[in-house]
Amino acid sequence: MREITFREAVVEALDIAMQRDPKIFLLGEDIGYYGGLFQATQGLMQKYGEDRVMDSPISESAILGAGIGSAIVGMHPVVEIMNIDFLPVCMDQLVNQAAKMRYMFGGRMKIPLVIRTTCGAGRGGAAHHAQATHAAFMHFPGIKIVAAATPHDVKGLLFTAIEDENPVLFIENKMMYNMKGEVPEGYYTVPFGKAAVHREGKDITIVATMRMVHKALAVAKEMEAEGVGIEVIDPRTLCPLDKETIIRSFKKTGKMIIVDEGNRVGNFGSEVASIIAEEAVEYIQAPILKVTAPHVPVPYSPVLEKEVYIPNEDGIKRAVHKVLEYA
Amino acid sequence: MAIEVVLPALGLTVEKGKILKWLKKEGQTVTKGDSLYEVEADKVTTEVESPVSGILRKILIPEEVEVPILTVVAVITDENEKLPEKYLTMGTATPERIEKPALPRIQEPSVLVTSGPTEIKAPPAARKLAKDKGIDLLSIRGSGPGGTILVKDVESFLSMERQAGARILATPTARKLAEREGIGLASVKGTGISGRVMKADVVGAKAAVRPGEPKPARISVKAPSVSTYQLGQVIPMNSIRKVIAKRMAQSKFTAPHIYFFNDVDMEKLLTLREEILTEFEETEGIRISINDFLIKAVALTLREYPLVNSRVSGEEIRIFPEINVGLAVAMEDGLIVPAVPRADQLGLGEIARYRADLVDRARQAKLTIEEMERGTFTISSLAQFDITFFTAILNPPQSGILTVGKVEERPAVRDGKMVIRRMMKEGLSVDHRIIDGAVAAQFLQSLKKKLENPYTTFLRF
Repeated sequence: MREITFREAVVEALDIAMQRDPKIFLLGEDIGYYGGLFQATQGLMQKYGEDRVMDSPISESAILGAGIGSAIVGMHPVVEIMNIDFLPVCMDQLVNQAAKMRYMFGGRMKIPLVIRTTCGAGRGGAAHHAQATHAAFMHFPGIKIVAAATPHDVKGLLFTAIEDENPVLFIENKMMYNMKGEVPEGYYTVPFGKAAVHREGKDITIVATMRMVHKALAVAKEMEAEGVGIEVIDPRTLCPLDKETIIRSFKKTGKMIIVDEGNRVGNFGSEVASIIAEEAVEYIQAPILKVTAPHVPVPYSPVLEKEVYIPNEDGIKRAVHKVLEYA
Repeated sequence: MAIEVVLPALGLTVEKGKILKWLKKEGQTVTKGDSLYEVEADKVTTEVESPVSGILRKILIPEEVEVPILTVVAVITDENEKLPEKYLTMGTATPERIEKPALPRIQEPSVLVTSGPTEIKAPPAARKLAKDKGIDLLSIRGSGPGGTILVKDVESFLSMERQAGARILATPTARKLAEREGIGLASVKGTGISGRVMKADVVGAKAAVRPGEPKPARISVKAPSVSTYQLGQVIPMNSIRKVIAKRMAQSKFTAPHIYFFNDVDMEKLLTLREEILTEFEETEGIRISINDFLIKAVALTLREYPLVNSRVSGEEIRIFPEINVGLAVAMEDGLIVPAVPRADQLGLGEIARYRADLVDRARQAKLTIEEMERGTFTISSLAQFDITFFTAILNPPQSGILTVGKVEERPAVRDGKMVIRRMMKEGLSVDHRIIDGAVAAQFLQSLKKKLENPYTTFLRF
């Protein structure tokens, strides 16, 4: 199969979706003439015109507000918030309005809104442009959260997000845009709430999100040489979360490591650990470990950012060895 | 660094122990593995070994004082090390102080301890497995960080138990050598046909035993002294009597007992025994007794009625994972009940050998705690006395006990005619909390049938 980048997969999905459905339009900062900060909307304004690909003012509240309003009246907006760090600017619109409106009005309206945003450190973005705060949004019922880890999945998940009648927070790790992978031509969907088991193993289960999936896979491959079988699970959507696949794997291995770039406290992994404790406690053979960013702002120093902040293979290996003490 | 010596956990049900004798004096040099003191707990006396080498700096608990398990009883230091001050203030415990909660317990986890674990560390999966299999985690050694008991530790414990129960193939030479060297055949990997243990395997296993490894605690049951009782005499209870008193009262007052009796025609079984006696002795090297048939028949019946092979634990009925039939052995003053392990799976020869060995060692006061605690059902026989039948109190935590009266010739009606048959009355006591009359009756009926049809019963197994 042909290989394209993560970025190209996003552009291709938006392109195909816009061809299929005239109600879809894009709105965001610098997404039109410039093609998006990460070029993930490259060429779409040229193709679909300024009515369907709109550059917005620098106001997240305006972007999300317009997105919610147009969704209510029947459009299918795909809005872009440049960095997930900026979502708190329009937090009320997201978590109190978009997430709850359909419920509070007794189902009399639908909000088929996709909010694309980026997360992740690695480009010197520092404390305001490099966070991975996806777990914070899991707390609010009414928002679906997509966290794709491969070019194949990002394209298929984006189609599913656009088809969904409810608000979807679609998160892309900015360090993955140049990652290449096999991506089918044309239209296909990847379902929400269905995890991908990228690698099977009998000894340890690693649940990893987005970019961390690849670091976990690298460690799993390395550990295989030492005779340790690591199962790597990518949930693909954090909400809905595929608990069944995670628990099934855990019941097999009895050992769990969660790798996630978010800050340590209230991390996505905290939720996974809690699910295990609640639903599979009698299978726990070893401490459930999280490999995460430390609980500090993203440092600007490139050395700190790379060596200390972003979870890496060394950290995952340390966790693996610690868990293996109980094997 | 100062190392605390504690009173180890001496058995599954042991809560306290009395220090009988200090074998080392304060200030004396001790080597790791030296016997430090003798402790009496429940019915046994055990020597406790020193966990480290050093100077026995201070004895905190004097002789003849009873303290709970895991109490710090002494402190060992390096040669030039002074006794840390906190032990000075602890002083020496006196019997009066012992009754109070202010015991010199382990206070800080910073000081490494001893022979017995202070707390059980095990992840939930290991706990679950142990619970499901009815294993007490105290009996398992953890190989994980800080002595954590892992799932694999429970599994290997289980497989060791299985091995111990299964018949071990070994050449006679290997068997003899293993016995002489005190090596358990179960622990030797056999290299012969079908895993048969060969002489060379035992020699290899002997060499592999590392000298530094702690030996299992030596245990001896104190043979009670003969005494002539006099009117008006006041007799302090010895520890065996205390245990018996406590257990019998506990059993009788917590488990509502119900009793069942029936008559067993022993004619065929006695005839069978008489017929095979000589040849059995020649081939198996042991004189088979009626008790051996009883043990086997009871074990087979327990297999049919597992509820009778269980115990009450809180609001759960826990069926034992094994069938270990205990045989009450009378001592001069007291009673102990060693058990034949997995009697349902053993041949009569093996049962007879086990029984003879256990009874013999019971009388010599040489049983291990395990042998006394593993029973899941008890047989109590007064057949040697002129007793027709009797009731027995359950041996806790078990839920069933069989009583056996004397065998005597009695008139019986067979095919409408009066004949003389050798008859025996058997009785069953069960815990009515968990075993109802109908189950108990069926159990006893099935046992009777087995004893009355010995060829079917014992040929099949």
